[in-house]
Amino acid sequence: MQQVNKKHLIMKKSILGIFIGILVLGLGTSCKKYLDVNTDPNRASSVTPQLILPQAITYTAAVLNGYNSYGAQTGLYCANAGGYGGFGESITYNYTTTGTGTWGSTYDNLEDYQTVLNTSAGNNLYSYFSAAARIMKVLNFQLLVDTYNDVPYVDALKGSTKLTPTYTAGKDIYKDLASQLDTAIAEIAKGDATPGVTPLGSSDVLFGGNTTKWKQFANTLKLRIIVRGNGKVTFSNTTFSADGFLTTDALINPGYARDNGKQNPAWNTWAYAYTGSAGNKAWMPSQFIFGFYDGHSIYDAARGRAIYYQYPSTGINRLGVESNTLVSSPTGGFWHASANRDGKANGNNYGILKGPNAGYPVMLAAESYFLQAEARLNGIITTGSTTDVLFDKGITAAFNYTYQLPDGSVTVKVADTVAAYKIKNLSNPLVDFTAATSDAQKLEAIITQKFIALNFVESYEGWNEYRRTKYPSIVASGDGYKTFASSVSESTRPDKLPTRVMYPVSEGTYNGANVPKNITPFTSLIFWAQ
Amino acid sequence: MRKIVSLLSMLMVLSTLTFAQTRSISGKVTDANGNPVPAASIKKLKGEGAVAADQNGNFKINVKNGDVLVISSVNYATARIPVTASNAYTVTLAESVSAMDEVVVTAGGIKSKRKEIGTATTVIQAATLTAGKATNIANGLQGKVAGFQISGTGGGVNPSFRLILRGQRSLTGNNQALVVLDNVVVPNEVLGNLNPEDVENVVVLNGSGASALYGSQASNGAVIVTTKKGRKGLTTINVSNTTTAEQVAFYPKIQTKFGAGGTAYGLDANGNPYPDYLENQSYGARFDGVKRALGPALEDGSQDSAVYQFNDGHNKFWNNGVTSQTDFSISNGDENSTFFLSGQYADVTGTTPGDKYNRATLRVNGTRRMGNKVMATYSTAYTQNRYDITTETGSMYGNMLNMPSNVDITKYKNWRTDKFANPNGYYNPWYQNPYFTADNYRSKQRNDYLTANVELKFTPIAGLDIIGRQGIATRNASNKNTIGEFNYTYFAEHTDASSKTDIPASVSDGSSYSTNLLTDFFAQYQKKVNKFTLNFIGGAQLTQNQSKYVNVSANGLVVPGLFNVSNGVGTPGASESNYMARQVGAYGDFRIGYKNFLFLHGTGRNDWVSVLSTQNRSFFYPSADISFIATDAFESIKSSGKISLLKFRAGVSKVGQVNLGSEFGAYSLAPTFGGSANGFPYGSLAGYTVGNLLVSNNLKPEITKAFEVGVDLNMFNDRLTSTWTWFSSKTDDQTVNTAVSSTTGFTSLLTNTGQTQSQGLEATLHYDLVKNSDWSVTVGGNYTYLDNNVNFISADLTKLALSSNGSGASYAVAGKAFPVIMGFDYKRDNAGRVIVSSVTGLPTKTDAISVLGNATAKNRLGLDGSVRYKQFRFSVLLEYRGGYQIFNSMGTEMDWSGTGIRTAAYDRQSFVYPNSVYEDPAKPGSYVPNTSVAIANGNGNNGFWTDGINRDVTSNYVTSGDFWKLRELSIAYDVPTKIFGKSNVIKGMTVSLQGRNLFLWLAKDNLYTDPEYSSAGSNNNGIGITGLGSAPPSRFYGASISFRF
Repeated sequence: MQQVNKKHLIMKKSILGIFIGILVLGLGTSCKKYLDVNTDPNRASSVTPQLILPQAITYTAAVLNGYNSYGAQTGLYCANAGGYGGFGESITYNYTTTGTGTWGSTYDNLEDYQTVLNTSAGNNLYSYFSAAARIMKVLNFQLLVDTYNDVPYVDALKGSTKLTPTYTAGKDIYKDLASQLDTAIAEIAKGDATPGVTPLGSSDVLFGGNTTKWKQFANTLKLRIIVRGNGKVTFSNTTFSADGFLTTDALINPGYARDNGKQNPAWNTWAYAYTGSAGNKAWMPSQFIFGFYDGHSIYDAARGRAIYYQYPSTGINRLGVESNTLVSSPTGGFWHASANRDGKANGNNYGILKGPNAGYPVMLAAESYFLQAEARLNGIITTGSTTDVLFDKGITAAFNYTYQLPDGSVTVKVADTVAAYKIKNLSNPLVDFTAATSDAQKLEAIITQKFIALNFVESYEGWNEYRRTKYPSIVASGDGYKTFASSVSESTRPDKLPTRVMYPVSEGTYNGANVPKNITPFTSLIFWAQ
Repeated sequence: MRKIVSLLSMLMVLSTLTFAQTRSISGKVTDANGNPVPAASIKKLKGEGAVAADQNGNFKINVKNGDVLVISSVNYATARIPVTASNAYTVTLAESVSAMDEVVVTAGGIKSKRKEIGTATTVIQAATLTAGKATNIANGLQGKVAGFQISGTGGGVNPSFRLILRGQRSLTGNNQALVVLDNVVVPNEVLGNLNPEDVENVVVLNGSGASALYGSQASNGAVIVTTKKGRKGLTTINVSNTTTAEQVAFYPKIQTKFGAGGTAYGLDANGNPYPDYLENQSYGARFDGVKRALGPALEDGSQDSAVYQFNDGHNKFWNNGVTSQTDFSISNGDENSTFFLSGQYADVTGTTPGDKYNRATLRVNGTRRMGNKVMATYSTAYTQNRYDITTETGSMYGNMLNMPSNVDITKYKNWRTDKFANPNGYYNPWYQNPYFTADNYRSKQRNDYLTANVELKFTPIAGLDIIGRQGIATRNASNKNTIGEFNYTYFAEHTDASSKTDIPASVSDGSSYSTNLLTDFFAQYQKKVNKFTLNFIGGAQLTQNQSKYVNVSANGLVVPGLFNVSNGVGTPGASESNYMARQVGAYGDFRIGYKNFLFLHGTGRNDWVSVLSTQNRSFFYPSADISFIATDAFESIKSSGKISLLKFRAGVSKVGQVNLGSEFGAYSLAPTFGGSANGFPYGSLAGYTVGNLLVSNNLKPEITKAFEVGVDLNMFNDRLTSTWTWFSSKTDDQTVNTAVSSTTGFTSLLTNTGQTQSQGLEATLHYDLVKNSDWSVTVGGNYTYLDNNVNFISADLTKLALSSNGSGASYAVAGKAFPVIMGFDYKRDNAGRVIVSSVTGLPTKTDAISVLGNATAKNRLGLDGSVRYKQFRFSVLLEYRGGYQIFNSMGTEMDWSGTGIRTAAYDRQSFVYPNSVYEDPAKPGSYVPNTSVAIANGNGNNGFWTDGINRDVTSNYVTSGDFWKLRELSIAYDVPTKIFGKSNVIKGMTVSLQGRNLFLWLAKDNLYTDPEYSSAGSNNNGIGITGLGSAPPSRFYGASISFRF
């Protein structure tokens, strides 16, 4: 009986075993097909350089918009407005987090350019894409160095192969950036010589596929790097290609429109959302910049009226001054002069905030001329127009940009307006170059005019140039027209200004071993700063 | 189930005993409903001659007067019947299962006797689960199971719960217990959408070993919910209603001395700050009973005002909520089938003004036997819930805390009609009227759930069952979030530096579904061979999870009040995502029993998953456990009379879990590109951006290895029952989604690295103080000790941010408890005293974040008691958690606004920082106690309390998380049926009163809110942080009436 039972059991066990075996085997064969369902139906897993570049350049406009706010809010171009409080370190300059938001977006944007470079490497058909991405990469890295000094460069953008990138000295980065621009110009030449090369075409939302302008942009960017690094960096090659420098404003415009997420970033931040609701109202123009229009420093009512709402009764303030009686911003802000305050219809203005469809400036022609003027002055370039000619061209280009409508047209007679400006400020060396006799005066005039040209457009460049040259001149003990330093500055420096913003907390957290230590907002200098 | 001595047997005890000679008597054994109990054993207390009842419960036995019959049967309480003069007996057995013979549903829906199980298992019966009449089962389980931490992570009309068994294992992946409903693995959220009255019991498998058969999701333990089935030969209809009130149980502590204003507006002759009509911060004048202007004058010249005296309007802002829950069920059964049908409707209004919720559930369960060999089982439930709530609880709460404590918030209720409450005339230009916020930012959500399981069991020969099962859990949902338009008047926008600015209307409309399919096919063979019982199972399982989400949105709505995406300006926002993941499992299970006291059990399972790469998609994991019933093996232990049960058990297991993130981890292996960044596409121009997630190219499952040992000990004839379990587990190859430096070009990385560990003790102990026909009193409780740590993460990654809110963050840090709270502290000397400046008296914030506390409760205790006296039943449950800290991010808001009680700690005067030191000028590096150097500015808009030196220092808001909660209290009365007369229509009626979370005792330093809350939500491991996003904690109390027909 027992024997039988055992047999029975063994049989049952083997039946079970066979059963499981068949089951597993059957599953094994059909398993693979059943399980191969992990292809992402939601997001692209590979794209071409043509698809990345337009987004990357458009992203740069958004990144620059962040830098513009950071530069302007040191007091250069704007101050805290009525109706808001809690400005904290924005007005004490005791920075911990202010301005650090641009770090992440810049590197994020850089990864897009790096991907264009990686995917077009070794493929001459993509030479133009590689060149454009390389130039834009230089632009972004210069922004980083000018803001944070030493930053990850050599080790950066390498994904999982370098999870904690080391920092490269700002100086060394500058040197390489200049060389990269030479490489980019060479790449364009290589593209020109490659039959069937992929044209930039509509992917180029900066120059519309015009490679000459890309070369001019590369030259001008190189000029900016060399002028700023002059005397501190030993550049490998300080010559420029024959293509010359930018003569027109470099504007990014993928097709900005009053639409969901598609507005000019500056308009979107400071004027109106596409729904017509108000942008940021917490800031208003600073007294200091206002002085360059209302006669405290320079008489320039024409541009004042073109730029500011209700000029000359525009609400202005000095950074740091908080009071119940402070004027609050009108809906749409102070930086567009139009009396039409309907956010659903406003636009098509000249001035700074031109409209939701206006291009976003990467570099103004005025900046190109002022850079050339300075380079001519200090001998970095020795041929072409003379300093005074370049200075005047810079002013004209600045006026021209101010009077440009979103579609690029200029209906005002710029030459006449510039002439009137010169007459009104005759013998003021900041305007009248003949009155500037010493090189120092000439430099002051160049930088000051650039400072005005970049008002709330490339505010970071205004701030960089101040830190490098100490122009426009300020009187630390003076009022808001004499200095842009915050009235409640905690800076220990004589000029009461900060020297830099901090590295973001995220670097301390995720890259703590490498991030430079003992950085302070009042003692640590960018390598080219005074 | 309680042992209830039948009335009949009691009557028999009272009968007189007369004869003493041997004679034959007959009897019938029935259950409480009169159905025969077949095969019951009938023994005499003393002497030989045991018999068994036949199929119909009938028996015959030879007795003599004075004998006592002991009648026992599996699943019934043993009855003792003294033999009387009568020759015919009817023995009614109360249903009960001795702890060890209780049949427990374990992994895969397999039923095992408790004595066979070598791992910790807790069964919660329906009566215990629903004692507090919670609408959510998770609520009903809180504090009742050792080792099971159930935290309500938010308030609101349908709170979310986080279900964690034996601590957290996965660093950034899922740690929540697997929820199994009627043998089908279902998403966690189903638990909150199940009618608790439908539940027959809940089995909690604490460890991964016990649940290994469920597949790779089981490493977190499992909660197995079994719903009710009909009973043979009995028709029961239940109807009941429960009405529950909800009331805020704890308010953040607010200072009651100072009103609006601040030092920024100048000081009076006495150096006190002026009150200010515009300032929202409460750093103004001391309450003096004077009525002052509040806000700027309106366009019509009128002006709001408030008296400078404390007004507890902050607390009155919250409503009393009401929950009404109506239940219906009918069940029936015959020889071949059972049937159970139920319905429930619950209607909830919350404590947050305007928040509403309702839920309706329907269920049909049944079984049908077809011939001798086929058995069909089905359980089907449909649930729909509807939310109508504000989306802005956090900002509404923040707005409220920014109102000075002298202002009566409740007078701003009618913002549509009251000019001072209307946003145009509301006194505060920076913070909205909270009533307006609650009304203007709304969300309507709809969720429909269908959960079903059909099972066919084929029994070709005795002992062999072949079972096929198909389960489905599907959710169909939609939501519409709306923001109403508000256009301010020109006057309002430009008065007194107002920052009021128009609100454009917007709408966001989403819909989604998710469907989980589970197919099981397995065979089970059971055989008894001499002293051995054998049980083999082999099977396969297919799982398919699929979901889809579509969302469209529009802003700047043109026609007011028309919340439709076609009514916006510009291009509507649109998004779509689809997910699918599959898994194949093959498993085997054997259980060998020896002489009913030694059981060995082993499982093995291999999974193949679609979400990993081909070379890593297959993984195998085994488990084994052993159970030894010493009291059955050695009669001598039992016969000593003290120990009635002694069981030793032990288990080891290894379980793999794929933890690639949300949506089943689908499509996580490849880097991706986004096509809608920065406004793209612009017309025909497309543009893509590189995604920010880096993925390691060799992702593998996380492997949890665990062991547990335990003892079940019952004493004094089972009056004392206890279970003791020590567990330990280690999880390796953590799949970590970690932030990386953005300079890599990416912001996060998905990789395998790290190890966590948890170990601890789970114990339950209950004692029947009194047990007789009138009284039964049981007290006891459960205790959990948990030591949950991160052993290491990776060489270059020693800490991992899990969640953050304000300056506090929840981190996994190598070598520390999992998780810990990190943030900034004050610089301190070696003795931990705060270092202050010898000039200003001000402390300094640390440069880097440090560990400020452990966020997981080390000790948890649930204490319960139940008393029955005749028809009265009373039960109570208390829960304690201790040994951990929380960070309360609302503290910074309260200190900013000046309503926080901390800000008045020194009466707004200059003060010496407590327990502080400053550097000895004579001896640099050594510190002397500071008793004199005071912080000058203990007041004001720019004083210590509002400055970063207070508010940015995380440690100021890290408090003990310890609490005691009176979780449940209930008293029920079974109304005697005789009062309904002889009609016999109503067979039973019960009335009860019950309360949940009636009292909350927090640690003294916790001024803020319920430490159970987690601002990271219920699915995030970054616990330990509370925020403003949750309404304050509530207490619930109500009454129920139920009828049985």
